[in-house]
Parts: sequence; structure tokens; C-alpha cells
Amino acid sequence: MKSILKTIALILITTGLRAQNIVGEVEYRYKIFYDKIYSSLPHLTQQEKDRILLSWGNPEGYSTRMKLQFWPEKSLYTYGAPYEVRSYSWQVEDYFIENNLEEQTYLKYMDQMGKTYIVRDSLAAPKWRVMNEIRDILGHMCMKAVSEDSIKGQKITAWFASDIPVPVGPEEQFGLPGLILAYDINDGMLVVEAEKITFGEPAEIIALPKKLKGREVSGTEYQDLVQDFIQTSIESKRAWVWGLRY
Amino acid sequence: MKFFLSFLLLLAITFASQAQSKLTIRGTVKDTTNLPLDYTSVLLLSPKDSALVAYTLTNKAGEYQFKNVDRQPLLIKATYMGYLPVQKELVLPETDVLEVDEIYLEPILQELYEVVVKAAKAPLMMRGDTLEYDASKFKVPPGATLEDLLRKLPGMQIDANGNIVAQGQQVQKVTVDGRRFFGGNTKMATQNLNAESISKLQLFDDKSEQSKLTGVEDGVKEKTLNVELKEEAKKGGFGKISAAGGTDERWTANGSFNKFDDVNQFSVIGYGNNVNQSGLSWDDLQEFRGSNAFQFGDTGDFGFNGSGGMNYISFSGGDNEESFEIPFNNLNSGFSNNQAIGVNYNYLKGKKDFSTNYFYSRSDQILESVNSRTNFLQDNTSFTSTDQSVQNNVAGHHRANLRFQNELDSANTITINAKGRLSTLSTLLLSHQELIDSSMEQSQMDRNNQSDKWSGAFQGTAIYRHKFKKNGRNFAASISDTWSKADQDGTQKAIADMMDSTDPNSYFQSLDQVIEALNGSNLIKSSLLYVEPIKKVFFWETFYNFSQSTSETNRQVYDVERSDIRELNPDLSRFFDNKITYNRFGTSFRYANKGSNLSVGLAASDYRLNGQFSVIEGSEILGRVDKNYFNFTPNVSYWKTMKGNKRINASYAMGVTPPSIADLQPYKDISNPLYIREGNPDLEPQVSHSFNTGYNMYDPATFINLQFSFNATFYQNQVVQNQTIDPETLVTTYKAGNVSGGQRYYPYVGFGFPIVKTKANAYLSANPSYSKSFSLINSIETETHTYSHNFGGNLDLTPLEWLSLYAGGSYRLSKTNYEQNPSQNQDIINWTVYSNINIKFPKDFYLDVKFNHNRYKNESFGFDQKVPILNASVYKLLGEAKKWEIRLSANDIFNKNQTISQYAGQNYVSTGRIETLARYFLLGLTYNMRGIEVKNRR
Repeated sequence: MKSILKTIALILITTGLRAQNIVGEVEYRYKIFYDKIYSSLPHLTQQEKDRILLSWGNPEGYSTRMKLQFWPEKSLYTYGAPYEVRSYSWQVEDYFIENNLEEQTYLKYMDQMGKTYIVRDSLAAPKWRVMNEIRDILGHMCMKAVSEDSIKGQKITAWFASDIPVPVGPEEQFGLPGLILAYDINDGMLVVEAEKITFGEPAEIIALPKKLKGREVSGTEYQDLVQDFIQTSIESKRAWVWGLRY
Repeated sequence: MKFFLSFLLLLAITFASQAQSKLTIRGTVKDTTNLPLDYTSVLLLSPKDSALVAYTLTNKAGEYQFKNVDRQPLLIKATYMGYLPVQKELVLPETDVLEVDEIYLEPILQELYEVVVKAAKAPLMMRGDTLEYDASKFKVPPGATLEDLLRKLPGMQIDANGNIVAQGQQVQKVTVDGRRFFGGNTKMATQNLNAESISKLQLFDDKSEQSKLTGVEDGVKEKTLNVELKEEAKKGGFGKISAAGGTDERWTANGSFNKFDDVNQFSVIGYGNNVNQSGLSWDDLQEFRGSNAFQFGDTGDFGFNGSGGMNYISFSGGDNEESFEIPFNNLNSGFSNNQAIGVNYNYLKGKKDFSTNYFYSRSDQILESVNSRTNFLQDNTSFTSTDQSVQNNVAGHHRANLRFQNELDSANTITINAKGRLSTLSTLLLSHQELIDSSMEQSQMDRNNQSDKWSGAFQGTAIYRHKFKKNGRNFAASISDTWSKADQDGTQKAIADMMDSTDPNSYFQSLDQVIEALNGSNLIKSSLLYVEPIKKVFFWETFYNFSQSTSETNRQVYDVERSDIRELNPDLSRFFDNKITYNRFGTSFRYANKGSNLSVGLAASDYRLNGQFSVIEGSEILGRVDKNYFNFTPNVSYWKTMKGNKRINASYAMGVTPPSIADLQPYKDISNPLYIREGNPDLEPQVSHSFNTGYNMYDPATFINLQFSFNATFYQNQVVQNQTIDPETLVTTYKAGNVSGGQRYYPYVGFGFPIVKTKANAYLSANPSYSKSFSLINSIETETHTYSHNFGGNLDLTPLEWLSLYAGGSYRLSKTNYEQNPSQNQDIINWTVYSNINIKFPKDFYLDVKFNHNRYKNESFGFDQKVPILNASVYKLLGEAKKWEIRLSANDIFNKNQTISQYAGQNYVSTGRIETLARYFLLGLTYNMRGIEVKNRR
């Protein structure tokens, strides 16, 4: 799988043709449904689940705008401009993902589990299963692919556009024969969907902070931390979604 | 382009080169007109789970090539924009090269792609030769039938006879969820099925009925339309009912039922008991109110507040007569008999949100109490009065709430709130008071007061919010009106000690009076807010508040001369007519960026107080108030959220509180002959300067949390009640006055940490506080210092799945020091220890034990009261689905329950004790439709 990604990257870089389709910027709506996530916690009784959905159910979810910039050799991903300009500011968390397709490595700089982590490792695509279903997103015909995250207990359904042959996507999703324009987790607990695609060199390239301050870990070390965090949260009957990106 | 494609061919896919049993797979992709398709994605999948094995793109000649593919069963799949993806299984050759037959991609029917995939945004699914899509994505009017829906779908026609024609062929049969519908009568199905209940439509060629019966393939295919109905998963209901009876005729019962779907939420709830529970539990209240349980920002008050810091929303519970809110978490003192019933309905559709509820609660309460109050006189002497009383309160409250919110469009939202309350309250008080004084003989008085009261109130609020096109520019306006009326009739009878009854200066006086009081008030409020963003991180906020409250108090007191003759008492009867008008205009600049928030603001406020009073309405005006107070109030606040869930904040606010009109009226209120109140027309408004600062952090990985805060308030012109105590009659006269120099300091620190992660957690807190207050007592300035030392600790142990233990304690020492009279200094101590253990035994048996120990101590009076309360219950869940519970509970096993209060004021100390429901046992049964909830963890 790794070599496929590398080869595709090479093909696209070295030719540089059809550049209008292999370089660009995507704005995604990251829409999370805390009520659904919360009411799926294993320690809750049916009555508690109903109570959560009844009294603080939010059919609209909570939206954040995210931004992905892609080239044949790399992708950059972070927060986009907020939907609503508010006269107060809460957000201080950093969330950057850089995938280097040439070297087959990634860098994640993010505030998770109460700390800032700098995660570097080589890219390892999840096991994708390509399904027989198509859908249109912003004028691109997308195919369905599914995978699973056993640590987080997530069923991932992604839609990739094979006419944008860059194997990247939003959040931690990548490795399909086309740009991932949408994905959802556990049938709608999280829905990430492209809202705008602009082809061509982005006007302002996402810049990582000059100095990365945080704990340097490898991908496997980070996965162990995540696993431990989720395990502890479940044992303490807490929802891990408050400390860890869903 | 040419270069690219040839390059691609040359390059192809280079896998690690262990070439032996590896395959090279190549072929061509074309469209149905035999033209090669370039730039087409070709995927190799594993047939057992569709796992992606490899992929590439075709070149200009539509050619693709995979090299070094592991020998394994494979599917090949080609996909191109606007074409139906094609997939087929590969037959692996003996050789190392597989030439795949040409793949022909069929364009998706233009109409299908445009209408289904693009316009309706419905995913198109390919299952063999069946194309399936989500019909619920097509908008149809409410009440539309399947036929109406079919007319909208591409490739479908309904002919004049009502037959369905799909892709040019007549549909022979319609099945619903795979089953034949009404003997294959297609019209019956299309005209009777509701379009809104359909989730998916599938069109395929099915075997004929004949071949299905015989099992012999006759080659005849029937065009079949299968209709999949929506799973109405969100529709549901739950409810529970519970009843228990026990010793001393104790009983309790409650029940609730909820029914809901996507749009409607309906619930009813009710309870009855004589074990002092006079409100819903927090969980029951949430379930009862449903989507309406949490509504913030409904007050319509805009602009910064005078106390500094953030606006916190707190849920305190209780049952307040004046409140529109449904009572919850309320445990009565004394003995009470309580009933309530409520009904709630919420309607949520799109951007419209409607909620309404009605709640009636009634409580019949008996309070037997003993109160003692020691007043200090300036000559180091004191006198003590005791009051032994029995009180019966019967209160009933009808409360109704209605809320409507409509998001008209993305820019405009309207919220309307209407609340109403109608209450009746009758009280009967029998009391025996005694006065113990070193210089006087003991005297006593018996009182008998009765009153009946009804009161009603209504509040209506409308809030309009508008977001301008410019992101961050907002406008909001609110208007509200609160109207209330109360009518009280009562009698007051007192028989004082015979010896002193003729002495007008005696502490206790005999009286026989009838009181009629009619009070009414109206409060109009309106607020405006405008926020203008400047360069994304700066905001300019402007607000205006207006309020006007008018109130009328009409209290008529009649002396009963004989059983049939009543005479108006002109000293005690009063008619007040007051009006307070408030205007505030303010502005603030805010900076909000990357978690940092700074706001600097200034407001100009103006209070106008008008009032007049007379003996009865229309009689000679006895006094007037006409005051105007104008102030500028600055406000500064800062908070910053930092990485790692840390937050700091600091703020300063100036608050201005005008004196109450009652304190301003040049009038002596002698309605309570022992405590006379006198107005002071020269009062200035009280000004407070509040400084708040705090820090808190929480680490989600280690569960360590730390909270620290420090609040300080300094008063200017603090309104205090100066006292003059007549040494002969011991009558206290209160007169409001202004004094500066009062201070209050309130630090808090709390620290929570796990001892053993997920098994044992601890939380420690300390909040010492200090306050300094001044007042004039018999014209001498007295200074009172109150130190409160408050320490607490909690321990949560959840070592095993079946065992949890919670324990904690708190210690509070209130030291009241009198600067001018140190010999009267008071040390009041409260100790609290609690523990709660919950054990799950095999076979669904549970044990729950709670132990609370309170100790109240005041050494200078030799007061030392311990109240140990032990509650225990065992319960068992019954039935397969654990819907039943049987529970035996013992309350206050030691039979020690009573309600104790202690307080040290500026020149007095009081203690009180209420006899409260003590030991009882209950045996009860609960049925919960959704299974019993076991709360063995917090």
C-alpha cells in the first residue's frame, strides 16, 4: 500500500500535468454530534441515553471549519476560518497534520489529552474496503470506502473522488485512490464533508508554528497513549471525546 | 498531456521486486462507444472483503498496468466520472501476465445522475444489476403518496391507468420490505403508501412467481419495485411507576411517562408522599422538560453586570413561592404531605421550537420549632428571647410555562417566553414567646396568627436577535413585562403576660387585629445590544438597559374592639405607591484572540425613585420620596484559556445599588412592636468595588484538577441597619444608614487528584473568608469581624465493579469578633462527615448505606448538638429485563433527625431547631419500562 502511495505521488509530481486537479485547497465542515457520542457510552442505561438525547439532543451538531491543502507530494491540514466571528475566544488548541507523500512520513502537531504532542512517523494507510456506491460531492463523483479504527471503536465511511487522484483527506484519513471529500464515523456521530474546493496553488499556505513545543513521540507511542487514555476513560466512566479528537 | 500519459505507462507501478510468483495485470478501459477512457481509476480489490490491494490510472489509450501483484483472488474495478463503476472478478492465469478483457463503462443515465446523484444528493448503490438510491432525499409535500414520489424519480413514469413504467417496462409487482404488497396490486401500493415513510426504492428484475413456485427457471423476469420503509428508530417511550409504604403511615409514590418521536416530545409526571419530598429529582426534571430542559440566555438582559466576573448559571433547586420554576431537589423540614402533577409538550420542527408545560404542586407542612435569640446591649448585658412555635403552611402552586423560538432565517431569531403562576398559601401560627432578662422579671406572650393569601404573577419576554451580513456584527433587542398581584387576609392575636399587659412599655403586648393586604407590582424591562467587529479580533459593544417598576402596597390593619366592631388602626395601616425607573447606557471594547479576552467598559446609570404613602389610598399624603442617582460604573475583565485546559481570569466591576424605597420613606413602621423600622430619606446608593481573580486547570490524562479563586469586595456608602435598643422596653429601632469601609474577602482553593487511577480519587478544598462590617448600635459605631474557616475533603473509592464507597467531611469555624465588645465574641462550629457505600451482590441484590453526621457547636452558650443520620436500603431487581425493583429502606435508623440553624449577627446570636421527620421504614416496588437504573456510581 505504501509503495502505491509513493508511486502515485511520483507520477503526479514528475508529470505536473493536470495540475489543476492535483493542487488545491478544500474547506471541510467538521460536524460533531456530542449527544449521539455521549448516548453511546457503554456504561449508560437505556433511560440515561434517552434522557441525554431528549434534553440536550442537538440535531444540527457542532460545526468547525477545517482546511486541507494538497499537492502531489504533500498535504497540510488545520483549522479554517471560524463560521461565526464571536466577540470572545476559546480556542487555543493547535491541530496540524502534514503528510509527506514523497518521503512517506507524517507530522502531527496537536493538543490532545491535555498535552501538546509532536508525532512523527511513516505513513501507514488504514485497510480500506471499496464499496459499490457512488455519491456526488461538489460536482465530483465519489466512491464509497469503509474502514475501521479498532482503538477508538469507530466505523469509518469515506467518499473519495477518483478524478482528484491525490491520496489524501481530512483529519487522519488518507490512502484512497482519490481525494477524500467526506467521511463519517459510526453512522453520523461525526460528519466531515467538503464545502468548497479551490484548485491551484493556495493563496496562503498553511504554516506550522516556527517552533514546535511539545512532547515528541512516534506514531506507535502515540497510539499506545491513545489506547491507554481511552481505556482509562472507559474504566472511569467518562467520555474520552472531551480530551481526544474524535 | 501526452508526456504525462506516456510517462505513466513507462513508470507504471513499481512494487518491491520479488518477481517470482508476482503478476502483471494489464488491460484497457473503454466506454460503450468503444472510445478509450483515459484518467480512469482502476482498482484491484480482494473479493472476500473488497479490501483495496492496488490502484492506478489509465493512460490516453485507456490502458492500465499493474506490476508485481501478489498472486491472490482479485476483483478489478474501474471508475470514471459520470460512468457507472464496473467490477469483475479476475481469473488468474498460469503465466505471470494477465491480459484482462476490455472493460466497458456505461455512462450513468444523464437524468439519473443529474436528478438523483447531483440534485437530490442521494447516494447511488449498485447491487448486481440493481440500482438503488435513497428515496427519502427527494422532497415531497407532506401527505404525498408513493405515486407522487415515483413521478419525481428519473426513469419512472405513471401511465394514465396508474401503472408504473420503469425504464420503459411496466412494473409487475411492488414489494414492501421484500414482501408482496396486497397480492401484487401495484396501484394499491402506490396510492396508499405514504411517501414520507419510505427510505429506499429498489428496482430489479425478479424471477416470475411461476419459477419461484416450481423452482424451474422459466427465463421470465418480472420488473419489481421494492419499497423499504423507514425504521422509526427515534420513536419511543419510557416511563416508570413506583410506590412504597411503611411504618407510621409513611408512604411515597411517583410515576412518569414520556413519549417522543423526531418532532414531538410529550411527558407527564406526578408524585405524592408524606416523607418531605416536595420537588422532582434533577433527572426527573430533565426527562420531564426534555428538549426544553436547558435554555440559557432567555432573560434578555444585555451588558456587563455589576458584580464582576462571568455570568454563571446555577441550578440550585428548592421551591420558592415567587418563582416560576418547577421545584426540584427540595427536601422539606418538619413534617409534610406533598403532591404534584405536571404535563409537558415540546414540538421541534426545523427551525421552530415550541415548548409548554403545566405543573401543579401542593404541600401541607407542619413545623414545630424552638428558636432562641440573645441580643447584646452596650453595657455588656444581654437579654434572650425564646420562641416555641407550631406552624402549619398549606401552599399550592399552579405554574405554566410556554416558550417559542423561531429561527426565521440564518440571520434572524425570535424567542418568546411566557410564564404564569397562581398560588394559594394559608398559614396558621401558634407561638409561645418568653423573655429572659437579668434586670427584668420574666415575661411571656402567646400568639395566634392566621392568614390566607393568594398571589398570581405573569411574565412575558420577547427577544429578537439579528446577525448582519458582516460576520460578527450583531444586534439584539428584548422586552419583558412581569406583573404580580397578591391578596392576603389574616388575623393576629397575642395575649401577653397578665402582669405587664397594661404597661405600654412592656416587651410583649396583647393585640387582636385583622389585616388585609393587597399588593401589586409591574416591571417593564427592555434592552438593546449592538456588537461591531473591528479587524476580527477587536469588538465594540454598545448596550442600553431600561426598566421601570411600579408597585402598590395596600395594607390595612383593623383593631378588633369587640367581636363585631373593627376599627382601622391608622398607625399600622399604610398605602404605598412607588416607582423606580432605571436607565443605563454602556459601551465596552473587547479584544478576543487565541484564547485571550480583554474587555474594558464604562456605563452611565441613572436611578429615579418616586414614592408616596398615606394611611389608606386617597387619604392625606404623609410622605414622599423623589430621588435621583446618577453614576458612572467602569468594568474591566480579562480571561485567557491556555493549552492543557488551563484558564486564568481577573476582573474589576463597580456596582451601584440604590436604597430600597422602604428604607427611604420618612416613616416609622411599627407593625412589629419589638422591631420598629424607620426610614431615612438622606440615604445614598451603595457602591461596591469587586475584584475577582482565579485560575483553574484540568488534565484529562491524569485527572488532576486545581481551582483557585480570590474575590474581594469593598463597600462605599454601604446601606446598613443602625439599631437603637431601648434599655427599658428592649424595643429595637432599625434605621437604615450609609457607612463606608465594609470589606469582604473570599479565597477558594480546591485540588482533585487520583490516588489510584480509576479506583480512588480525592478532592480537597479550603475556603477561608473574612468580612468586616460596621453599623451604629445605640449611636456607637461597632465593628464586626467575621472569620470563617472552611475545609473539606472527599474520597471516592470505586475499587471493584460491584463496590463503591464515597466519604468526606467538612469543618467550618465561624468566628465573629466584636471590636467594641470582645467578651461577646462567638465561635460557631459546624462539623459534617458523610459516607455512602453501595454494594452489588450476586443475583441482582444491592445494598446502599448512607451515613451523615452533623455537629453544631457554640461554646459560649454551651450549645453542642450532634445529628447522626443513618439511612440504608436493600433492593433487588426482578425479571429478565430487570424492569422491576423491590426495595426495603430504613431512614434515620438512629431516630435523630432535626433541622438546626445557628447565626451570629452584629449584636445578636440565634439558634433554631425544627423537629423533623425522623425514623421510618418503607417497603416499595418500582416498575421501569426501560429497565431499572442502578446508580451505584456518581
